[in-house]
Amino acid sequence: MPTLKINNKEYEVNLKGHETLLEVLRDHLGLTGTKTACEESECGTCTVHINGKAVLSCIKLAADCVDDEILTIEGLAHADQLHPLQQAFLDKGAVQCGFCIPGMIMSAKELLEKNPTPTREEIDYALDGNLCRCAGYLKIIEAVEQAGREMKAAK
Amino acid sequence: MRTPINKDYIDPVGKSVPRIDGLGMVTGQTKYAFDVSFPNMLIGKMIRSPHPHAKILNIDTSAAEKLPGVRAIITAKDTHNIKFGSNEYFFPHTIDQMALEAEKVRYVGDELGAVAAIDEETAEQALRLIKVDYEILPAVVDMEEAIKPDAPQIHESLNNIAVILPVNFGNPDRALKEADYVREDVFFAPAAHQAALEPHVCVGQWEIFSNKVTLWASSQAPFKCREALAKTLKMDLNDVRVIKMSVGGGFGGKLEMLPMDFAACLLSKKAGGLPVKICYSREEEFLASRRKHGMKYTIKSGVKKDGTLVAITGEVLADGGAYCSYGPTVLAAAIMRIFMVYKIQHFRITGYRIYTNTPISGAMRGFGGVQAGFAIESHMDMLAEGIGMDPVEFRLKNITSPNMVTVNKMYLTTNGLKDCIEQATNAAQWTKKRGQQKNVCRGIGIGIAADVMGSKMYKSHESAGSIVKVEEDGSVYLFTGAADTGQGSNTALSQIAAHELGVSYSRIKCKSGDTEITPFDTGSFASRVTFISGNATILAARDAKNQVLDVVAQDLDLNSEELDIKAENVIRRADNSVVMTFDKALELCYAFKYGRQIIGRGSYNPKTTPIDFRTGEGNVSGSYGFEAQIAEVEVDKETGEVKLLKLWDAHDIGKAINPQSVEGQIEGSLAMGIGYTFLENLHFDKKGRPANGNFAHYRLPRTMGLPEMKSILIETNDPEGPFGAKGMGEASLLPTSAAIANAIYDAIGVRIKELPITPDKIIKALKEQQQTTKI
Repeated sequence: MPTLKINNKEYEVNLKGHETLLEVLRDHLGLTGTKTACEESECGTCTVHINGKAVLSCIKLAADCVDDEILTIEGLAHADQLHPLQQAFLDKGAVQCGFCIPGMIMSAKELLEKNPTPTREEIDYALDGNLCRCAGYLKIIEAVEQAGREMKAAK
Repeated sequence: MRTPINKDYIDPVGKSVPRIDGLGMVTGQTKYAFDVSFPNMLIGKMIRSPHPHAKILNIDTSAAEKLPGVRAIITAKDTHNIKFGSNEYFFPHTIDQMALEAEKVRYVGDELGAVAAIDEETAEQALRLIKVDYEILPAVVDMEEAIKPDAPQIHESLNNIAVILPVNFGNPDRALKEADYVREDVFFAPAAHQAALEPHVCVGQWEIFSNKVTLWASSQAPFKCREALAKTLKMDLNDVRVIKMSVGGGFGGKLEMLPMDFAACLLSKKAGGLPVKICYSREEEFLASRRKHGMKYTIKSGVKKDGTLVAITGEVLADGGAYCSYGPTVLAAAIMRIFMVYKIQHFRITGYRIYTNTPISGAMRGFGGVQAGFAIESHMDMLAEGIGMDPVEFRLKNITSPNMVTVNKMYLTTNGLKDCIEQATNAAQWTKKRGQQKNVCRGIGIGIAADVMGSKMYKSHESAGSIVKVEEDGSVYLFTGAADTGQGSNTALSQIAAHELGVSYSRIKCKSGDTEITPFDTGSFASRVTFISGNATILAARDAKNQVLDVVAQDLDLNSEELDIKAENVIRRADNSVVMTFDKALELCYAFKYGRQIIGRGSYNPKTTPIDFRTGEGNVSGSYGFEAQIAEVEVDKETGEVKLLKLWDAHDIGKAINPQSVEGQIEGSLAMGIGYTFLENLHFDKKGRPANGNFAHYRLPRTMGLPEMKSILIETNDPEGPFGAKGMGEASLLPTSAAIANAIYDAIGVRIKELPITPDKIIKALKEQQQTTKI
């Protein structure tokens, strides 16, 4: 049976072959933190990391991820310690309905790991694929800036 | 173990405390209806009409029923054929939709049944095996075609007009004759979609022998959903339980029961009580949920040379789609909001809510006010220009004031509109910029608005209830019927409860929106929750506090009226001296001697009068909120591109319970307003299907190109509001399109009267301007 490595745990998954990574995460493994709002790569809500890169899980076949390191929103916090992005999203009031937030955080994480001090334009560009209908983006952008500062300081 | 106390969260009202439900959201642990799953759960799919208008002759489900894995199929013959709708109090004849249509379908997507199967693939395969015979009828998708006498009749109503709404005060014809300057303008604001990121989704489960049903829903109004389910399923109200999960956005689209909610329950019954989940795809969202009305707004007004607005007349055509939903009251709001904003005595606007063979128009954030705001606030600028007056000066001359009664008997008490205009114009440097930046194609424009905080939508009262239960361990449970759909009402209400009880916000746990457990609440709409549910919560917290103080007073042989709870301590009112800590007081309450459980309750019904649609009069809201908005733009005359540089939004919110949350509401509204102004335009093909019904083609605002936004909070401390607060979730969206259109006019001298504002419209208008100047 194929094995997927998700959040540093190994999951044996019975795959027919046509399942997307999104379906496997949500429907087979109960990792429902990853959402979707379109299932056609337009909303960014299903963003996860594969080998450190932000990827849309709705258009990724699970069978293609067998040798990969997959990270979802559930794997971000360590014990009781939130990831700086999670803390910053709380501090800045960036969360309203919360549905876009897992994808938003995963997209921001890729950006900040490459560049912890992005300009506003760089943040706009990195998050442009993630829709939010509640918050008007400003507090999300402020949260990413705060998290970047903290991630840089922690290095 | 006692509940740990965070001292930073004492006296939380006015503080930007973190959201009570935020931790689950940033860690992916929060469960939405989208995430609900049960063992042996079936997947349901709706049987939809492929025709915009047809008679249903026969439905043959026999082949689908034989498909392995299909567990239930329902059509109208399984139902009681009871109609439902949302304006039963004001417009009972507009109750026009059947949970599953029996005789006729009226738009592509109309529901005539549903299937439940072991998985999605099987359910979809079953749909393909269902044979429906139709007699295809001629269809009409354009509202101005639909009102012609020879148009196809969609319902019984004459000329497809579901509701004619004449709103009439004074003598506008005579007043227009006495005006120095009169002009008429026609505006068009298109359909749009709420586009909440979580789609409509529910799980229904029938308890076969007890005949009870539970629906796990993504709902803005679980108690209204329960009412519609009980009605259409022909059940007692309390045999239906609606549990609102965390909601991934609503914006008006999740205010009503949809046929899918009904179908999930009935499919579960037919499948022997197995739970049935129905989850819309994004295409179904655009096709078969609710949408914003497209409106054609004709407005003619007269002014005196000194700027006094003397009369307004006009006509509003609202494209309602196939059924009425909230349409009649949306139309009423689109006409009558103006009375909160401008002093006007002579007025006549007639509204027409028109059926077309297109998706159903209902409530969307702003509730008719966005379309009206674009028309009225653009028109006001044009009136001001006609008499050579500055648009800000013109507005200041005509706006409503504190403590006044409007022509339609709304009682405006606190009214910060003047302050909003002045603070917004100061912040934006209006006088320095207006008309001064044409050389660089920059301009600045204003729009103003007002909003209610509550409005009668339920059949009887519009009250909210709260329970505040203080536990032995010191934790405080707030039970509220209010539906947090992401706006943060659980947080604001918890702050209110903690503040009134005199304890830290960190003690509060909030349970909301479960019709079997929480008190009744009409739901999240009309910006009502902070104001109405907030007041109920204050009363419940006060009741709980008095119960604690009674025990303390009894134990110490004091008079409980001399005591209060502040900042985690029981104190003497006279000198603020500490009697004991709150925890100590709880120990007493729960000691063997007293054994007194602390359960406070509150119920609040705003002091309002519903609109009487024969006269147009009614004080619909317990208070009114106001706001002024300024936009600055730069236009590229070569490409027609508009760059929105900055928005300033000054908002009379009474009192900010949570300033960060208030800003979040304003910024979210502005983004939605920007989307509606430049991008969003839900339009339909010849069969009435959404031509851009997915996220690839229906464009929403994203991070790139968003302007700077500046929120200015004006606190008028409303005497009826909880801690002075007013509702504020919608008003910031109302004037955005007009403020931007007015700024574009200031920049390049062209007037766009049809949304969305796109480069081709700018170029076309510039060409027309050139031709006019040549002549």
